[in-house]
Amino acid sequence: METVILVLVSGLTLSGMYALSAIGLSLTWGALGMLNMAHGAFLAVGSYVCFTIITQLGAPMWLAIPMAVIISGLVGLLVYLLIVRQMFRHPAFETNIIIATIGLAILSENTILNFFGAYPFRQPLVIEGGFRLSGIFIPYQNIAILASSVVLVGLVGILLGKTRTGRAIRATSMNKDAALLMGVPVGQVYAQVMAVSGCLAAVSGIMLSTITTLSPTMGDAPMVKAFIIVAVAGLGNVYGAFFIAIGFGLLEAIFQFTFGVRLAFPLLLLLVIASLIWRPNGFFGSATILRN
Amino acid sequence: MVRNRTHIPQLSPIGCDFAALLAITAIGIALPFFVESRYFLSQLTLFLIWATVVSQWNIVMGFAGIFSLAQMALFAFGGYFTAVLGKYFGVNLAIGTFIAGFATVGVSLIIGFACLRLRGIYVALLTFAITQTAVLLVNSDTACIIGTGATCQTLTGGQRGLSQFGDYGFRELLGRDYQIGNFYVALATMVLAIGLSILIVRGPLGYAFRALRDNEAVAVSVGINRYKYQLLVFAASAFVTGIAGGVYAAHFKVVGPSILGFPVMAFLVSMLVVGGLGKLWGPIVGAALLMLIDEQLKDFAEYRNMGLGILIVFFIVLAPDGLVGMFEKIWQLLRNRRPQREDNNSAGRVAAKKGTLQNFEGN
Repeated sequence: METVILVLVSGLTLSGMYALSAIGLSLTWGALGMLNMAHGAFLAVGSYVCFTIITQLGAPMWLAIPMAVIISGLVGLLVYLLIVRQMFRHPAFETNIIIATIGLAILSENTILNFFGAYPFRQPLVIEGGFRLSGIFIPYQNIAILASSVVLVGLVGILLGKTRTGRAIRATSMNKDAALLMGVPVGQVYAQVMAVSGCLAAVSGIMLSTITTLSPTMGDAPMVKAFIIVAVAGLGNVYGAFFIAIGFGLLEAIFQFTFGVRLAFPLLLLLVIASLIWRPNGFFGSATILRN
Repeated sequence: MVRNRTHIPQLSPIGCDFAALLAITAIGIALPFFVESRYFLSQLTLFLIWATVVSQWNIVMGFAGIFSLAQMALFAFGGYFTAVLGKYFGVNLAIGTFIAGFATVGVSLIIGFACLRLRGIYVALLTFAITQTAVLLVNSDTACIIGTGATCQTLTGGQRGLSQFGDYGFRELLGRDYQIGNFYVALATMVLAIGLSILIVRGPLGYAFRALRDNEAVAVSVGINRYKYQLLVFAASAFVTGIAGGVYAAHFKVVGPSILGFPVMAFLVSMLVVGGLGKLWGPIVGAALLMLIDEQLKDFAEYRNMGLGILIVFFIVLAPDGLVGMFEKIWQLLRNRRPQREDNNSAGRVAAKKGTLQNFEGN
């Protein structure tokens, strides 16, 4: 029983962070058809901005987090305006954007490295205490991470499902050209999606940095996992990404418990490849979302 | 081609490329006789190795349309395999490098079987994940295969990497000038790499990929099997890449997980992009230029990777066809007529036309 609770707590905490990253990735894939290799760098940027605001400006938590999120959203917007928008016309957009975002990731990670150094700072955002559940100590920190990611996923769900903006995003994801012909301002949708993706990455990064430490490459490993989640869910499927993220986080915790930390991820990857061979468009993917 | 028949008779494109390759080979063979500095020769050898790796990545990604990010993993596998053969089995590295080439083909086939049936973007995702997993496994390698405690030797050497696994034996053969031997091995590997690229780009496989890129539906309906051809190119390039890994290991006498890291990948990606992705001679131009720039900016090492990042973004946004693409454009402008040589460019133009049409067709 104790192990079950332990695995559940760590698994669900992982799930919460993965879900936010994965949804950000999934949105940009669905709407823009771009694989954002700089997503991990976005995670790092968000958490370093938050760190700087708290330590340098002495801002309280309730102010620092929204500020960091907004700044990261602006970074996402800037990336769209300066890089992505310039590249749409090229026939090899899909390949080139991967390379461009690799370049962007290298640029931002090394800028952070030169600015802050490689010292593993601690994110000064700690919620003390916790409670006991049948003898297992559960920190409030983990509960807060899980709760805020559920709330945010819910918000993204409402944004996509209930608002005019969301409808435009969904229309663009389904068929860009038809959306354009129906009067959807596709360029504006792209910009919004990149901004939202930047915001989600920042939240995910801040969460991650509260349970580990800050480092310029902190986002890389979670990004790989978010990629895998998005691929298994079916690229561009936001709701699928959420459920797969929960499943993936739990499965990772179970694998880590049974096979050890070293082999957990390679084994998961094998499982993922097998499942992709079985369902090439992912579990929730439909061929219409994919464009090529 | 027919349109330009009135002009001066010329070598066929494939003839031109092989002539250029021959010239490069000749220069390469002569070079060690004019180079005094050992350091410079060592850097030239490194250039040849990178040019090999990047040219193979170029045909895989830029030409066969496989979004593989596993190129460095294959390269590292070749290096590690050679080192392991030399260290634990006492195999001469010359034979070891050759075996490593075939072993890398085996690995590439496994990756290819698993990934290439999937859609393009999934290939990028999975090959990236595979590379990251390889880094993880090497870095956390603590299982001793020989000895325990202080004498513990793990299979891959963990974070320290592997060393002391022998060399090609040029030291006994050439004495002080043994590095010339390594240089020629690297040169031979690069000539093999470019020869293979020419055969793939200009040969029947090239037509198949061009057809697939220009109009996939038509290409498939006339019986072009994308999966089969992609697997073939992936495996062929893996052979040369694995050998390049072995040459790297033998030349530097050490392989470590650093060759799988982001900085090396950034360096190679920038070679690819600056030279011109999908251009036959792009990787050579890119590798030469980047090695030169890197050498000049040694004093600003901490800004090196930032600079590479800026370079990659700058080129891919403003000049996605790289320097070779720019030369081609300028050349055409100067001649002010359609290109005589039918190369990647024509396919690119058709694809561009298709791209604009797609805005109306939907998909």
